[in-house]
Amino acid sequence: MTPTTSYDLVVIGSGPAGQKAAIQGAKAGKRVALIEQTREVGGACVYHGTIPSKTLRETALKMVHFLHATDVFDFRMRDDLKIASLMTRLDTVVRAHGKFMKEQITRNGIDRFHGRAQFLSDREIQVRGLGGNTTTLTAPVSVIATGSRPRVPDHIPIDHEHILDSDSILSLVYFPKSLTVLGGGVIASEYASIFSLLGVQVTMVDTADRPLKFLDPELTDQFCRAFEKTGGHYRGQQKVQHAQWDGFSKVTTLLESGETLESEKMLVALGRVANIEHLNIQAAGLTPTPRGLISVNDQCQTTVPHIYAVGDVIGPPSLASCSMEQGRRAVCHALGLNPGDAPEHIPMGIFTIPEMSSVGLSEQEAIEKYGGDALVGRAHFHEIARGQISGMTNGLLKMVADAKGGKLLGVHIVGEGATELIHIGQMGLLHHIDIDRFVDNIFNFPTLAEAYRIAALDIAKQRKK
Amino acid sequence: MTVVSTIPTEESETETFRTHIVERLQQKELDLPLLPVVANQVLLLSGDPNADSSKLSALIQQDQALAGQILRIANSAACAPRSPIVSLQQAIAWLGMNMLASLAFSVSVQSGVFKVKGYEKEVRTLWHQALATGLYGKEIARRNRHNVENAFLCGILHTIGKPLLIHLILQARGDSPAQPSWAVMDTLIQESHILAGTKLAEAWQLPQPVQEAIRFYPDEAYHQANSPTKGAMITCLADHLATSIVDPSSLDEEALRALPVVQDLNFYPEDMDALLELKDSIQQSVEAFLV
Ligand SMILES: Cc1cc2nc3c(=O)[nH]c(=O)nc-3n(C[C@H](O)[C@H](O)[C@H](O)COP(=O)(O)OP(=O)(O)OC[C@H]3O[C@@H](n4cnc5c(N)ncnc54)[C@H](O)[C@@H]3O)c2cc1C
Repeated sequence: MTPTTSYDLVVIGSGPAGQKAAIQGAKAGKRVALIEQTREVGGACVYHGTIPSKTLRETALKMVHFLHATDVFDFRMRDDLKIASLMTRLDTVVRAHGKFMKEQITRNGIDRFHGRAQFLSDREIQVRGLGGNTTTLTAPVSVIATGSRPRVPDHIPIDHEHILDSDSILSLVYFPKSLTVLGGGVIASEYASIFSLLGVQVTMVDTADRPLKFLDPELTDQFCRAFEKTGGHYRGQQKVQHAQWDGFSKVTTLLESGETLESEKMLVALGRVANIEHLNIQAAGLTPTPRGLISVNDQCQTTVPHIYAVGDVIGPPSLASCSMEQGRRAVCHALGLNPGDAPEHIPMGIFTIPEMSSVGLSEQEAIEKYGGDALVGRAHFHEIARGQISGMTNGLLKMVADAKGGKLLGVHIVGEGATELIHIGQMGLLHHIDIDRFVDNIFNFPTLAEAYRIAALDIAKQRKK
Repeated sequence: MTVVSTIPTEESETETFRTHIVERLQQKELDLPLLPVVANQVLLLSGDPNADSSKLSALIQQDQALAGQILRIANSAACAPRSPIVSLQQAIAWLGMNMLASLAFSVSVQSGVFKVKGYEKEVRTLWHQALATGLYGKEIARRNRHNVENAFLCGILHTIGKPLLIHLILQARGDSPAQPSWAVMDTLIQESHILAGTKLAEAWQLPQPVQEAIRFYPDEAYHQANSPTKGAMITCLADHLATSIVDPSSLDEEALRALPVVQDLNFYPEDMDALLELKDSIQQSVEAFLV
């Protein structure tokens, strides 16, 4: 017989989605259990995703700025400092963040269970510990927040040694001379641009004609130019027939066009799959979608109404930012609390080099939705004093307005600081601010926020008299 | 005239060797010869312009003395790498086949060969154990999707102190025809191989995670290691799994599953099932080495 303990709420998975769900439950005064299969809390976000990739990016950028500074100041950086300092910093940041999350859970009085969860029924969840010991938890409400992991395509033998995925790339102990990146999505583009900046010869291969197809082409054009400037290549409209390690020194990739690419390492970033294989969701009365996800309604309720699913396990947008909000809202809904207005304009932040960010409608979507022409205002960072001062001249802010040039519909930015700068546009959209408000108001000078004014003025100029 | 026996007792013999070992380990210059069969193969492969490069690469990755020496030389001022060589694969990619072949050649010529006569079986077991640890290390790391290349290197080199001690004992024996018994050798190896390995790794400036794995791989020590690559912890489990191959009377499956390091690596029973299933293939790879 395994011991049984009852709770008001059981959350499976301690990533951003599960963590916020559990905290919301605890803040509402409920007895909450949080089950996590790894030793640490924080999920893919802390150990394989957002935090490490952004740390790597920041450190790479700092290092490159530092190296450039050697032209001005008389010092030299040791070559071996590069990867060692990158990895040490990565470890420090990840550990600190993991510790912070653990403390937050403890502080909120949440009971943490270390083990793998599986449903025994719709209200019973078994936790199997490392030694095989089991505990059963019962709760009237449960939240599945088990996240996702990199997809392993059938035709690419990922060995985590020569052919890596987005988890194992983080354990590189030296920079390869060359890297082929399969995929043209967010993760592929982020890592491709980081490694290219660090001097690795990077080739991205994807079926689409340009990377990050869902973004405004003006943004991706700028990204591609920057990527090429650091020595990177994007090979679009290419299908990979197969890839393999040659047993000596390189990975060979055969494209369907018959061409062969060679590189020292390969990164495979061809999507992610939901972690549901250990959950035994059928016992709870759930069935996965054909894409292996858990389907939910607007409140993140599954087909079994007292079981919720949040975060990557329910599919796109698969962002830590959205996952957290889904976790919080799901628990509010389950407990009959008011979660507040549903988020309307979710920004998309892509931490490539340079950064890209987008909120609201694109030019094309605006035309489709409102008919007629949309007015677009542009501000190039080289027109802005702050851009010149900081040497950030390769940037563009694009504002999309309705045909009259009065209503703000979307903002799209490429350039350093884009993921922060976007929030002004997001607030503008949320509060239905007119284009003219961006002209009339005063922003700090010199800052990149001035780009909003310049883009708004550009729209104003185009209005039909 | 009194006849004094010159046949040393086992204890005094051990003590003599111990003193020699301590003295030698204090010196900065430590060398390690290759096994005769490894040296032969290196000479064959490096002298053949048509040799299959993957064979030389495999050889380098299977032999701890050769692997250690290649890393040492690849990092030396003579090779002047742009950044430190921290993995065998990196050395291979960086140096290329021709350079590698000439390095391997000079290693085998300069280091000389072990005179292992009389200890063939035991020496083979030591080599097999190191290789099996490297291979298991890789698989453990693969399950974590983390650190495969480094785990292999830590595994293959974690007991590099053992051949060094054999070499030092055989050196101390000089030309004396009397062979120390394996029991004597083994006592000294168990006693000092971590210290010897640590000294060698320092002298050769082996990569930091490897130095850490050599020092801290035993059960009671891996908690002291702090490298983010977890090489010592991985090597600890890999070493136990390898021992179960070379000495089937050691730990059975149940005992392996109950090792604290299994839980410290966050391995569930199904992870251990998968690792234990690899036994045959690892055994085959090990046995295929230098037959
Ligand atoms: C390289 C990379 C970069 C990214 N960059 C960004 C970014 O810049 N911005 C952004 O917003 N998002 C980013 N993301 C996405 C973000 O990391 C994910 O959207 C987020 O982590 C999803 O959170 P989650 O809680 O749903 O799942 P996860 O973070 O995956 O956590 C799920 C947890 O559930 C546990 N678990 C799984 N199954 C079980 C079980 N049966 N029993 C117990 N526990 C279980 C797992 O161990 C894990 O800890 C990035 C992702 C990657 C891979």
